[in-house]
Amino acid sequence: MQTFNDVFALMPLMLVGATAVAIMVGIAWRRQHGATAIVTAVGLNLALLSLGWLSLLGIPGTAYFVLDGLTYMASVLILVSALACVTLAHDYLGGYSGAREEFYLLLLCAVGGGLALSASQHLATLFFALELMSMPLYGMLAYTYRDQRSLEAGLKYLILSAAGTAFLLFGMALLYAQSGRLDFEGLVTSMTSRGSLWTLAGVGLILVGLGFKLSIVPFHLWTPDVYEGGPGPAITFLATASKVAVFVVILRLILAAPAFQSGALEQVLVVLAFVSMLAGNLLALLQSNLKRLLGYSSIAHFGYLMVALVVGEGLAVETAGVYLISYLLTNLGAFGVVTLVSSPYKGEDAAALHHYRGLFWRRPYLAAVLTVSLLSLAGIPFTVGFIGKFYVIALGVEAAQWWLVVGVILGSAIGLFYYLRVMVTLYLVEPGMRRRDAVDAWGWHPSGLVVVGVVMLVVVLGIYPTPMIDWMHWVAAASR
Amino acid sequence: MELAFYLSGLVAILATLGVISGTHAVHALLYLIVSLLAVAMTFFALGAPFAGALEIIVYAGAIMVLFVFVVMMLNLGEDTQEQERAWLKPKTWLGPSLLAGVLMLVMITMLIEAGDGRLIDGDLLTAKAVGQLLFGPWLLVVELAAFLLLAALVTASHVGRLSAFQGERE
Repeated sequence: MQTFNDVFALMPLMLVGATAVAIMVGIAWRRQHGATAIVTAVGLNLALLSLGWLSLLGIPGTAYFVLDGLTYMASVLILVSALACVTLAHDYLGGYSGAREEFYLLLLCAVGGGLALSASQHLATLFFALELMSMPLYGMLAYTYRDQRSLEAGLKYLILSAAGTAFLLFGMALLYAQSGRLDFEGLVTSMTSRGSLWTLAGVGLILVGLGFKLSIVPFHLWTPDVYEGGPGPAITFLATASKVAVFVVILRLILAAPAFQSGALEQVLVVLAFVSMLAGNLLALLQSNLKRLLGYSSIAHFGYLMVALVVGEGLAVETAGVYLISYLLTNLGAFGVVTLVSSPYKGEDAAALHHYRGLFWRRPYLAAVLTVSLLSLAGIPFTVGFIGKFYVIALGVEAAQWWLVVGVILGSAIGLFYYLRVMVTLYLVEPGMRRRDAVDAWGWHPSGLVVVGVVMLVVVLGIYPTPMIDWMHWVAAASR
Repeated sequence: MELAFYLSGLVAILATLGVISGTHAVHALLYLIVSLLAVAMTFFALGAPFAGALEIIVYAGAIMVLFVFVVMMLNLGEDTQEQERAWLKPKTWLGPSLLAGVLMLVMITMLIEAGDGRLIDGDLLTAKAVGQLLFGPWLLVVELAAFLLLAALVTASHVGRLSAFQGERE
């Protein structure tokens, strides 16, 4: 039965859900773009506050949703990214002529799915939460559906994601047929007591399903097209919050099941990680579209992150946490700039590299923001990206995973080339033609403030990472 | 019983293949009904009559609605009669009815074998028990599913919106 404990444990989820319902009722009554965005932001902030309150209370969670360090970390990251997306969307959708308010409703539903996903410790809740996160994303990606590319992105994600879900479900069915349990704990005990070929097949299929959402090579084919086509705020959410949630659930599965660290599965993970690092970076090399380039780079970044999955012990949780924070902040900065340059909405996003040629001479601060984000993605010291990469390499060296260390170093070296290529473009002489540009005084728009704030965090945490590392110590300690 | 399970499973797979390979919406729907009935049959064979009954009520009902939509979207008139005559070619209905016939055979043999109708063993899951489970410990998952449907509905209504909305706004 439901107890007060259960109700408290799900406070953030319920607050997000309540906000979604409030917005739905609001839309039915009167459409008001600004008010909708404000209500959404207030709801997300309340959910953040309730998270802090919960961590003070120390409630263990319910049978289906666990409340441990990983849950808190992922929830905070998802909510922060959602807040950034709401502010970006407010400026972006200002120029959209159709219905704008539904975007926030969809965003809130996806946030609810992400929160539930990062907390789930039961295959049924995992499945529902994953679907709840993906379903609104189809709508968000196809939001500006009169633009053909946006519609294409939404449909592509819908169909391929459905195929991925089919794999996931089949894997779950195989595991259930073997063990008769759906909760992670029960699954793990049955897996360790009598692991069989069927169990292995089931885990493999689940890995395919989740690997699709993370766009790990070879399940990455949808990534560039979807990143290119989707509207800026939707892509920002897809690239940050949804990936964090899926990664955390995989990490939780792997931490719970020591079976992952032995034999065939570990080999599979090593190969997938290595291939993702190399393929992601190599494919990004000659991209002339910034969004596609960032999509490929996210494939490579999840390759690096998979080092934590392969090792799965010791510093793995801290490494994953630090890297996820750096990935999230950096990508919020990079996609934020792309969205800012494309706001307010006037057809397809300005993502081709020539749109950014000479950006420095028009908008020096915006160019600086993008430069810092790209430096952090490349892992240059004094940015948070460096701290993340340092942790990943340290973890790989400590666990003697030499192939992965080689992969990270090679990947970073290749990555530097294309990140620098974009940076050079920013400082080239401006072409004569007037291109798409950010609005004047962008820095005083809410989304401008968000982007600047995120990039300041990237630099501050790069120079003084102690608070972040302390937090991760707490997360790792609270996850055991 | 096992034979019934595997036979209906086979029928379900064949019928689903028919759905995705059909080029005509109505023909695909015919196969889809057979496929759903076959899935319901596998539930019965597994000893889950409640799930089987729900499958028939919910899905077969939904298919009827789909049929109505297809009929609505077609323009009624002289052409319609021609069209209906064209649809009634044996090629279109022979496949689904053959599969449905197999399903019926399975059901009849099951009924004859059972005799007194107590073939399904194990604990019978009643509607009450399912309801108590869903709105007891699984309440949250039900809520998640509700939000999932809400998101799907909003997505569909947004993408399916006519551009007439633009004029309404200005």
